[in-house]
Amino acid sequence: MSTPENKTALPLMHLGVTRPEELAPLFAGLRGRFDEECAWACDDSSWKQFRDAWLGRKSGVLTQITENWLEPATIELKRVVGQELNQLRAHVESKIEERRKAIEAGAGEAASARERVDLSLPGVIRPIGSHHLIRQVFQQIEDIFFSIGFSVVEGPEIETPYYNFEALNIPEFHPVRDDMDTFYLDLPKGATPPLLLRTHTSPMQIRTMEKRQPPVRVIVPGKVYRRDNPDATHSFIFHQVEGLAVDTDITFCDFTGTIEYFVKQFFGPGVKTRFRPSYFPFTEPSVEFDGSCIFCGGRGSAAGGGICSKCKGSGWIELFGAGMVDPAVYGFVKYDPKKVSGFAFGMGIDRLAMLKYGIDDIQVFFQNDVRFLRQFP
Amino acid sequence: MKIVYNWLRDFVGVTAPPDELASRLALSGTNISGIENGAHGAVIDAEVSSNRPDCLGHYGIAREVSAVYKLPLKPISPKPQESVAAKAGDAARVEIQSPELCGRFTARVIRGAKIQPSPQWLKDRLEASGVASINNVVDASNYVMLELGHALHAFDYDKVRDHRIVVRRAKPSEKLRTLDGIERTLDPGICMICDGDGSRAVGIGGIMGGAETEISFSTKNVLIECAWFDPIAIRRATRILKLHTEASTRFGRGADFEMAELASRRCAELILQLAGGELLAGVVDVYPGKRQPKKILLTRAELLRVMGADVPDKQIESSLSALGFAAVRVDQNRGAEGSLLAAWECTQPSWRAEVEREIDLIEEVARIYGLDKFPPRLPAARQGAARLPHYEAETRLRERLIGLGYCEILTIPHVAEDRDALFRPPDLQPARLANPLSEKANVLKSTGIVTMPAALEWNLNRGQRNVRLFEIGRHYRLHGSESVETPILTIGTTGEARAKGLYDTPRDYSFADLKGDLDALGALAGGFTWNEGGPAWLHPARRGRVALHNEAIGEAGELTLRIADQLKLRQEIFLAELQLPSLYAVIRAAKESRKYEPVPRFPAVERDFSLLLADGTHFSDVAATVRSLNIREIVFIEAIDLYRGKNVPAGQYSLLIRVTFQSRETTLTEAQLTDFSARIVAALEKQLGARLRAS
Repeated sequence: MSTPENKTALPLMHLGVTRPEELAPLFAGLRGRFDEECAWACDDSSWKQFRDAWLGRKSGVLTQITENWLEPATIELKRVVGQELNQLRAHVESKIEERRKAIEAGAGEAASARERVDLSLPGVIRPIGSHHLIRQVFQQIEDIFFSIGFSVVEGPEIETPYYNFEALNIPEFHPVRDDMDTFYLDLPKGATPPLLLRTHTSPMQIRTMEKRQPPVRVIVPGKVYRRDNPDATHSFIFHQVEGLAVDTDITFCDFTGTIEYFVKQFFGPGVKTRFRPSYFPFTEPSVEFDGSCIFCGGRGSAAGGGICSKCKGSGWIELFGAGMVDPAVYGFVKYDPKKVSGFAFGMGIDRLAMLKYGIDDIQVFFQNDVRFLRQFP
Repeated sequence: MKIVYNWLRDFVGVTAPPDELASRLALSGTNISGIENGAHGAVIDAEVSSNRPDCLGHYGIAREVSAVYKLPLKPISPKPQESVAAKAGDAARVEIQSPELCGRFTARVIRGAKIQPSPQWLKDRLEASGVASINNVVDASNYVMLELGHALHAFDYDKVRDHRIVVRRAKPSEKLRTLDGIERTLDPGICMICDGDGSRAVGIGGIMGGAETEISFSTKNVLIECAWFDPIAIRRATRILKLHTEASTRFGRGADFEMAELASRRCAELILQLAGGELLAGVVDVYPGKRQPKKILLTRAELLRVMGADVPDKQIESSLSALGFAAVRVDQNRGAEGSLLAAWECTQPSWRAEVEREIDLIEEVARIYGLDKFPPRLPAARQGAARLPHYEAETRLRERLIGLGYCEILTIPHVAEDRDALFRPPDLQPARLANPLSEKANVLKSTGIVTMPAALEWNLNRGQRNVRLFEIGRHYRLHGSESVETPILTIGTTGEARAKGLYDTPRDYSFADLKGDLDALGALAGGFTWNEGGPAWLHPARRGRVALHNEAIGEAGELTLRIADQLKLRQEIFLAELQLPSLYAVIRAAKESRKYEPVPRFPAVERDFSLLLADGTHFSDVAATVRSLNIREIVFIEAIDLYRGKNVPAGQYSLLIRVTFQSRETTLTEAQLTDFSARIVAALEKQLGARLRAS
């Protein structure tokens, strides 16, 4: 883009310029040339060429001025060359940017409809899979408890009666066993101990405390089994997350604070919580933990009138059972019940997922219909 | 337990409306499942937890109400009019031969009662409680059970031989026809009520009476049994007999020793009122199980240690006393209210056998005070938290599979034995269930793969033709009498690898897709090696074994036609199964050992070779031959194209390979490249009989 009379390639001395006042016309000439050339930059490629001719780092006009005029100039000229150069640079840079905007604005209209992409057509569709919803809920729960210092552990699904019942203060013929109809394995004759499918994740409380000394803070995600006939709200397999915290100073207040923190993280800050006294052989005091009904907002009445079918009008939904670890349990793991205290909880994941996502049939979790799976990528 | 609101008000002057009452009860520990407003007023349905047998009667609930609302509880002191002349002790005798099963047995006798239908008020209350009305005497015993929570049994006195009751263990295989008309076989753990010399059983203690001595409209004289039976023996018996009754529920949870006599007296009072007759004086009371009430100490220090916040003295004392624990301050600072050293001595009431320890009292105090009064706080963590050791490896595998288009599934591990056997390696001991729900779910899956075809089938049957699934689960096996659970990754796919679209032609999923996807997983572990062979459930021509560092970790391929046909799967099915423990370990190790390798500074050059090879010559043979030249500059050997058919002689195939050369020291010259190419061609010709095709 340089013109035949390329003055910037030569030092000022060679142009015969020796006095500061001779510089102004020289720069004015350059600016005129720039303004003239500016009009030629009318599309992407001519604009790039034009920009490089003036602003290119190796041989652009402004670089040439710096190298050929400014650097070798005498002290008396140097200051004025600098000033003039800065003014010219500001002019060039702003005009080039202006030009770019103008070209881009015009391009939308200029390009023909034929070349333009049809944005309403899909791109190339790649098959993307999905996380199982139960796995996602496990993950959310793990993340929440991990963030407040709970480690994650896992344990066997095939258990002994000792871990599933006895060490949890549920001796044989305890009435609570009637609520946990249990699958037993068919073992070779005379094999002891008998083996069963765990009815809750609580055996891991015992296994964890056998292995670790307080402080203990763990959660245990996993599958559990109860011998119930399947229907919309029952499955003989379901999922739980067990929690256990034992230390020298854990109190009921720490327990309710932890649970409340979890529920607000999981269901949202607007959900209210309450604890009802309850009974489990391995916790005392035991509680049943309720959240305000997320379907009716805790009002108990349905949007279309009548009572809310989810909370049966109570405004509360039972979420899970929990409590302070019963001192009798510490006896089984050789902890000193006078020195340590703690809490435990066991939440049904399928139920929490059904509540949170409005699912009315537990069986969908196990049918593996891709039309269900893909709803929760 | 159905709580009839008006009945409750017989014992405690509660004025709160039923729904408010129900809510207060719920928050103090009585689980409420609903409220009904019926013909007989409000009925609150309570699911009484198994540790609270005292709440299986209105009086027990009334005690809870009195504690919660701080209202007085009306005492129960029935004083039925007794005969002046005749004594119960002369009319009936009781012998307990098995005091470990029956801790107390009381008998009262009423002569000349008139058996007839009950009056309406009684029928109404029974109906509201969900109990059928039979006749006035039976109804009276049921009424007292619902009122006081203690089960009783009324005998036709004249049918009790010798008017003598013997309580003993059942004989092996002894039989009895119970009130419900069913003949039951008993065992020596079961407590029997017998008559005469003890040879004839007339009832199963604490569970159900016998048919032969039951009250009928011809009954004149009544013997009221009110006893105490050992809860564990009762629960064991109900499980063996599969017989659960109102009585067994109450005795099985632990009845009140003292209530036995009181309930009997109340029942006698009611029968006199309803059926008339003469109550013989006194009671036959055999009471081998009598025990002293326990003393339990409650300290504020322990209350604070467990609960983390305080409860005022007055509240502690009034709650415990209302519940029957008679709390008395016993510490040195008795005068000082709120003292940290405060201690109370409490007496265990006979109806709360399960309250034995300080922690039990703390729970009582807390639940009556209100759990919401203990301020929640988030405790500080003292330790770092750890994820599962394989968390990162599992997460990366899962994310990669999802990125490759696979949906994660969860399958039920209970499968049918014959289905499991289709995929089960020989000589393997599966984990069979002793009590399956059905024969279709009688064994725990011994492989990961066995549940995958059903998941694919479910989708195919619902119009989903292109399905890619994976499951991270476990398989279950027995080694002798030990169980082994192994984490396993299962992959199943069918349909198209690429659907027809705007920019693409369709293509069916093939073995190569499966291999490519698995290799994408293997890349996390430094790469899988593939070996010939595989299990019988995979197609012999399209299957392979996957290994990591020479350790076999799984298999992959197309489901064999034989099984696909058997399972009525009409599309080609591709399956893979990988053992996760080794894979996780290697992924972790690979991540730990990775080190930076400088990116080469000199350009790479590619040379293609179009080869004619005999069928049966593998790409791996070609690559090995090229590598055997030990040309350091060779960085990749790839297969670019494979062709059989026109212009290729039978028994041969054409393979295009691409070799990439690159030096770390210099730019390769044309002369060097020509030399490399010539050596490669020569080696392939000599060692594999390959022929270079003109390209």
